[in-house]
Amino acid sequence: MNDVTVEHFLFLSAALFIIGMMGVLTRRNMLIIFMCIELMVAAVSVSLVAFAWESNTLDGQIFVLFTLAIAAAEAAVGLGIILALSRRGKSVDVDQLHELRD
Amino acid sequence: MSWDVVFFYLIAAVSVITAFGVVAARNPVHSGIFLILCFVNIAGIFVMMGAEFLAVIQIIVYTGAILVLVLFVIMLVDPEDLPSFHTAEPLQRYLSFLLGAVLLLEVGAAIVTRTGVVGGGEATPENIAAVGGNVQALGRVIYSKYLLAFEVTSLVLTVGVIGAVVLALPERLGERIGTRRGTISLSHTRGADLELPEGPRGETPIEVDRNRPAPTPAPQRTLVMTSDPDAHTRVSSSSERKPQERV
Repeated sequence: MNDVTVEHFLFLSAALFIIGMMGVLTRRNMLIIFMCIELMVAAVSVSLVAFAWESNTLDGQIFVLFTLAIAAAEAAVGLGIILALSRRGKSVDVDQLHELRD
Repeated sequence: MSWDVVFFYLIAAVSVITAFGVVAARNPVHSGIFLILCFVNIAGIFVMMGAEFLAVIQIIVYTGAILVLVLFVIMLVDPEDLPSFHTAEPLQRYLSFLLGAVLLLEVGAAIVTRTGVVGGGEATPENIAAVGGNVQALGRVIYSKYLLAFEVTSLVLTVGVIGAVVLALPERLGERIGTRRGTISLSHTRGADLELPEGPRGETPIEVDRNRPAPTPAPQRTLVMTSDPDAHTRVSSSSERKPQERV
């Protein structure tokens, strides 16, 4: 208990991921859901870096770098979709977006 | 208790509290600012694990680029389109809490009982210091072992930028440069192709079936000023459902 172990970081990562997941499940605003997904991505990167730190390798850190690049692309496309929906006069409430289902 | 543990618990507590703030804040702008705080704390966690380059990149990319983009989009989205603060059905909410608790138990059991491989790699702190630091060590691995993945990442970023431009292209600009000819774009309003005016050279750009019935007009959005925060949701949903029943 006197030193920071990898379990500390893994528990923090799990807590952040689950908070983000509950946000995705309970909130209905598309922007909030988007931010919660970013939070989940960041939580996973914490555990990747923790494993890399534990095993004295750099591969985990490089995976996180690639994840960051993908998250940036995802942010651009996701926000573009939100903007397009808003411009078409649609709500960004995910409960009202059921065009693909009808 | 060493200072490391104190700092870890401080940073972890702040990041978990701000993560709760992201989920629970009523205003999307407050959610975004809570998320910025959370990401800065995660960058601190990265520094604790010796990933200094990732910490800097986390702040530059996430808080500097992505979150600023999110705040811009919050400003651009019509406030009428934002749903008022309401979460899912109560049953759905309790189920999500239950699911989160179960998942936390499972992951906790997995973390406690796991048999990890401690050490074994070559990137010990001494070796990294011998190379010159975290940035130099990362660069050596990226540009040798992960070179192909690095190049593919640049391709993915290019495709992402093109996709974002196509999605966010303004409607009028899209009409002016003639993208409505056979393109699939979310920025087109439904039925806009049926009422095309004559083209600039006196011809219609695409074949238009004149016998088709006129498209149903888009429902008129009304501004409802009331103290009931859910009133506009009810009005807009009821007016949007009408044309669908006719079809």
